Amino acid sequence: MAEESVLPLAAVLVSAVAVFLIVASYRYPNVREGWSVLAALVKFGIVASMLPGVMDGTVYEWSLADSLGVEFLAGIDFVLRADPLGMLFAMLASFLWIFTSFYAAGYMRGLDEHAQTRFFASFAASLSTALGIAFAGNLVTIFIFYELLSLVTYPLVAHNEDDEARIAGRKYLAYTFFGGGVFLLAGTVLVYWLTSGVDPAGEGTLAFETGGIELLAEAAAAEPVFAQAAFFLLIAGFGVKAAVMPLHSWLADAMVAPTPVSGLLHAVAVVKSGAFGVARVILEVFGPGLIHDLPLSVPGVGEVGLNVPVAILAAFTLTAASIIALRKDHLKRRLAFSTTAQLSYIVLGLSLLHPYAVLGALFHIPAHAFGKLTLFFCAGAVHVETHTDYVSEMAGIGKRMPLTMSAFAIGAAGMAGMPLIAGFVSKFYMLIGSGTVGGGYWLFAAALIVSGVLNVAYLWPVVYTAFFESEQRHDAKPLLEFPPGGKRESYDAVATDGGERVDDDDDERAPGGQPRPVDDAEGDTEAKGAGTPLEDDEDDDYEYAVDQYPSDADVPGGRGDHEDHADDHHDHGDHHGGPPAGGWERRSPFAESTWLMIAPIAVIATGAVTLGVVPDYAVFLELAIYIVEGVFDVDSFDELGGLSLAEAVEVIDE
Amino acid sequence: MSSVELLPALLVAVPILMATVPIVLGLRFDRTGWSVTAITTAGVFAATAYLAADVYATGPVVHVLGGWDEPQGIGIELVADEFSALIALLVAATTAGLLAYTRAGGPRGNTFYAGYLLLTGGLLGLTMTGDVFNMFVFLEIVGLGTYAMISSGDGPESAVAALKYLILGTVGASLYLIGVGFLFMATGALNMVVLGDLVPELMAAEGEPTLLRAAFAFMFVGFALKVAQWPLHTWQPDAYQHAPDGVTPLIAALVSTVSAYALGRVMFTVFGPEFLTATPYLTEIVVTVGAVSVVAGSTLAVVQLDVKRMLAYSSVSQFGLVVAAYGLVTETALLGAIVHLIGHGMMKAGLFVAVGIVALGYGARTVDQYAGLADERPVTAAGMAVLLIALVGIPPSIGFIGKWYIAVGAVQAESWLVAGVIFLSTMLTLAYAARLLEKMYFTPASTLESPHAPEAVATDGGDVDADEAPAVAGDGGLLRESARRGSPGAVSFGMLAVLVTVTVTAVVLGFAGGAFGDLLEPFVSEVFN
Repeated sequence: MAEESVLPLAAVLVSAVAVFLIVASYRYPNVREGWSVLAALVKFGIVASMLPGVMDGTVYEWSLADSLGVEFLAGIDFVLRADPLGMLFAMLASFLWIFTSFYAAGYMRGLDEHAQTRFFASFAASLSTALGIAFAGNLVTIFIFYELLSLVTYPLVAHNEDDEARIAGRKYLAYTFFGGGVFLLAGTVLVYWLTSGVDPAGEGTLAFETGGIELLAEAAAAEPVFAQAAFFLLIAGFGVKAAVMPLHSWLADAMVAPTPVSGLLHAVAVVKSGAFGVARVILEVFGPGLIHDLPLSVPGVGEVGLNVPVAILAAFTLTAASIIALRKDHLKRRLAFSTTAQLSYIVLGLSLLHPYAVLGALFHIPAHAFGKLTLFFCAGAVHVETHTDYVSEMAGIGKRMPLTMSAFAIGAAGMAGMPLIAGFVSKFYMLIGSGTVGGGYWLFAAALIVSGVLNVAYLWPVVYTAFFESEQRHDAKPLLEFPPGGKRESYDAVATDGGERVDDDDDERAPGGQPRPVDDAEGDTEAKGAGTPLEDDEDDDYEYAVDQYPSDADVPGGRGDHEDHADDHHDHGDHHGGPPAGGWERRSPFAESTWLMIAPIAVIATGAVTLGVVPDYAVFLELAIYIVEGVFDVDSFDELGGLSLAEAVEVIDE
Repeated sequence: MSSVELLPALLVAVPILMATVPIVLGLRFDRTGWSVTAITTAGVFAATAYLAADVYATGPVVHVLGGWDEPQGIGIELVADEFSALIALLVAATTAGLLAYTRAGGPRGNTFYAGYLLLTGGLLGLTMTGDVFNMFVFLEIVGLGTYAMISSGDGPESAVAALKYLILGTVGASLYLIGVGFLFMATGALNMVVLGDLVPELMAAEGEPTLLRAAFAFMFVGFALKVAQWPLHTWQPDAYQHAPDGVTPLIAALVSTVSAYALGRVMFTVFGPEFLTATPYLTEIVVTVGAVSVVAGSTLAVVQLDVKRMLAYSSVSQFGLVVAAYGLVTETALLGAIVHLIGHGMMKAGLFVAVGIVALGYGARTVDQYAGLADERPVTAAGMAVLLIALVGIPPSIGFIGKWYIAVGAVQAESWLVAGVIFLSTMLTLAYAARLLEKMYFTPASTLESPHAPEAVATDGGDVDADEAPAVAGDGGLLRESARRGSPGAVSFGMLAVLVTVTVTAVVLGFAGGAFGDLLEPFVSEVFN
C-alpha cells in the first residue's frame, strides 16, 4: 500500500540543504564538516525511520503533482517513493556516508587539500542525488537524478585541477552523459512511446512496477524489436555507471579523485547507482518474465532471452577486469578494476533472472560496498600517512599501519568471497542460482569461481607484501614488472632481473612520465604502473647492484630518483612514496593515523564481517529477500527454492 | 471593442511611436533614452502579461485594424493566441529586463534607445500579426532595428557585421515576399486564418498545387536565412560577436527566435500539417536542414576561441533542433519546438548577459581567458554554469523540457535519424559547454603563463587587447593583469540581478513541463485537427 509522505523528499533534500550551509560556512572548517556529519546523521535517521514501515509493506510516496499540483512533464509525474529496492540502496548510501564524512575530514585535512569547501559541498550534493536515484519512482525521475549525479561528481573527479584530473574529468563527463543523456533518455522515450501506444487513453507510463510494467509487456508483444531496443538502451545507460565493459574505462581514470571520493562514490554511490538502475530495469521496468520470454534471435544460435547478452558481457567483464587488475601497481587503480569486476557480479546475478541469483546480486550491493569501502579507506590512509600509492613500495608496511592493513586483509577476503565475510554470502547465492538454472549457465558459475580465484591473486599480494615481506628483502613481482607473456630473455637474465628495470623500459614510458590512460592496459609501461620508481643514475653498475638485491630500487634511501612522482596525482612534488630512510617505523594500531581515519576503517570492516557472519540479523539480506519475494510475487522465499528458471518465471505470470 | 482587444494594437504601436521620443528629447537633454525606454518596456511588459493572462483564460484575442472586416482575407489583423502570447511575453520580458544591463553597461545614447524601441515594436508586431504580408513589413522593421543595434558597436567590425546582416537579411525577407506573392496568386487571400482554410481546399481541388509549393519553398528558404540555418547562417556569428555586449543578448534571444516563431506560424497556421505531410519530400527537407544545422552548428561551436562566437554557433545548432521539430509535424514535437524556442531564448539571453559581465568586469573574451573565472566572479560563473548545463538539457531545466517533447515527437513520428540527432545533441552541446565549464572552474588562471600563451590567439577574436598582446607576451603574469581591461566596479547590481533571475527562472521552469503542455494544448490541438 502506498502512503503519502514527505519523508523520501526530506531524505533527498537534507544533504541538498547541507550544500548551502557548507558553502556558507566556508570560513570555518569545523563548522563546515559539522554540517556534513549532521546531514549524514539526519539523512540516515530519516531513511532508517522508514525501514519498519517498508518491511511491513508500506511504500512511502511523495509526488510533485499530488502535493503541489505541478505536473513535471505532460502525463509524467515527478515521484519519490521509498519501496524495498530503493530502501536497500538508500540505507546503504546514507549509512556509509556517516563514516565517510568523518574519514573525508581526516583525509582532506591530513593532505591539506585545496578547495575543500567545493569538495564537501559536491560530496553532499552527490549523496542527495544518490538518494534521489534510490527513491525515484519512475524512469524520468531516475533520469533526472542520474544526470545530476554525473554533474555533481564531476567537480570531485576534476578536483586536483591539473591536466590529469582535467582529462579524467572530461572522460568522466563524456562517458556518464553518453550513458545518461543519450542511452538512458533514448530508452526512456522509447518506453514512453511503446506504452502510450497500447494505453487506451494514449498516455504513456513510466512508473516502476514490481515485476515489470504491465503496459510495457503488452506493448512488447506488439513491437518486440522496439522493446528490445529500449531494453538494451536502458541497460547501456545504466551500464556506463556500472562500468560494464566496454563502457568501463572512465572508472579507473576517475581514481585521480581524492580517496574518499573513490571510496564512497566510485565504489558505492555512483557505480552502485548504475547497478541499481540495472536492477530497476530488470526487476521493475521489464520484469524477469518479459525479459526471459522476449526472444532475441541470434544467427547461428537461435532464440535466446534478452538477459543472455547482458550476462555474457558481465561475465566477460568480471573475468577481464580481474586479469587487468593483476597487473596494476597503483593500488587505487587495482581497486578500481576490482570494482569493475565486482559490479559485474551484480549485473550478472541480476541478468541470470533466477530468484537465488537475483537475491545474491542484490545482497552483493551492500556486501561489495562494505568490503570495497574498507579497501579504499585503507588505501587512502596509507596515502595520507606515508604517501605510498604503489603496491611495489608497500613491502613491510604492516609494521607502520597494522590496523589499516588488517582491515585491508578483511576487505580483500570479502572481495574474494571467503566465508565469514560479506562477499561470501552473495556469491554463494549467485552460484546456487546459476547452478540451478543449469544448461549453458554453468559457464557463468565458472566465471564467478575463476574470478574469485583471480581476486585472491590480485589482493592477497598486497596483504602478503605488507605483513610478510620487509623493505630490504622482498620477492620480485614478475606479474607487474614483466611485459605480458613474460620476458624473452635467457634464464640468467631473468634471474638477475628481480630489479625494477631493463633499459628498454625507458623508451616505452609515456613521454614526460605521464601515466598513460588506462585503456592502454596492454602496454607494459602501464602495467608496470606509471611512476614506479626507476633508478636513473644507476646505469653503469646496476647489474651488480641488482644481482645482490633484487629490489634494490626499493631500498630505503635508495638512489631511486622519484622525479616522476611529481606528475603523480595527489602530489605536490614534495614527497615520495615508499618507506622512509631506515625502513618503516613500528607503530601501535592506535597511533598509526588520526582517529578520524582509523575509526571509520574499523567500523566499516566490522560491518563487512557482520554481514558475513550473521547476515540474517543485518537488515540488508532481509530487505533483499523481501524484494525478491515481491518481484516473484510469492509470500515466502522458500517457495522459490529448487525451482528452475522457467518455473520461477512462471510463478510471476500466475 | 473591449479594452483587451485594443492591447495587441497598442503593444505594437506604442513602442514604435515612443521610439521617436528619445530623439526629440535628445534635442534638449542628453540622457533620456534609458528612462523613456524603461517606462515604455515596463508598460509593454505589464500589458503583455495582462493580455497573456486573458488569452490563457478565455482564448485568442483578435484585433482587426481599423475595424476593416471586409473583404475577408485582406483586412489586417493582430492576433494574440496561445502561441503568440507566449512569444510576446518572452519579447516583453527580455526587452524590459535587459535594460538593467544597458543602464550601466551601455551602449548609451538617445539614438540607440530609439532603435531599441523600434526593435521591440517590430518584434511584437512580428509576433502578433495575423497576416502574411504584414509579417513581411514587420520582418523588415525588425531587420532595420537589428542593423541599427549591431552597428552601434564602436569598431569597424560592427559595421561590417551589420552590413552583412543587412544584405543577407534583406535577401531573406525578399525571398519571403516572393513566397507571399505566390501565395496570394494561388489563393487571393493574405489573412493567415483564411489561408489556413483555403490551402486544404486548393489541395483538394488541384491535387498538385504548384503555386503553393513554390510559395512554401521561397518562404522556407527566406526564413532559414533569418533563423540562421546551416549553410545560411554566416551572418549570425559575426553579428553576435561584433554587436555591443549590451545588444547581443537582445538579438540572440529575440531576433532569430521570433523569426523561427514566424516560420512555425507560416508552416502550421497558414499551410497546415496536411499540406506539409502531403507534399513529397517537404518534411524530409525541413528535417534534414534542421538536423544538419544541429550537427554543423555544434561542431563549429566546439572549435571557436571567442566565447560570443561559440555561443552564436550554439544558436545555429539549437535552432536546428527547433526546425527539425517543426519538420516532424507531430503535436508533441510542435509543443517541444515552442518550449525550446522560449527556453533557448531565455538561456541565451542569460548567457550573453553573463558574457557581457565577464567582459566588463574581468576583461575576458576568449575561452582561454575564462580560466579561473569561478574564483574571481563566483556569481557570474555560477550563473553561466547553470545556464550552460540547462542548455545541454540536464533536468530540471527548461532546456530539458523542450528536448524531451521534441524527442518524444521524433519517436512518435518514427523518424529515427532525427531521434538519433536529438539524443546525440546532448553530447554535442556538452562538448562546448564542458569546455567553458572546465576553464572556469578547473583551470587556474596562472596556467596562462605557459609558453604557448593564448594571448596571440586571443587577439583575433576580440579587438580589445590587440595592442596589448605583445607587451603581455614579453612579460608574464604582471602585465597580464593589466591586460585585462576589466574593472570589477563596472559590474552593477542590476546586471547580476538579471543574470540570477534568468538562471533561477530557467531552472524553475524546468518543473513546468506539464504547465507548458496545458497552456499550448489548445493551439497545438487546433492545428492538428
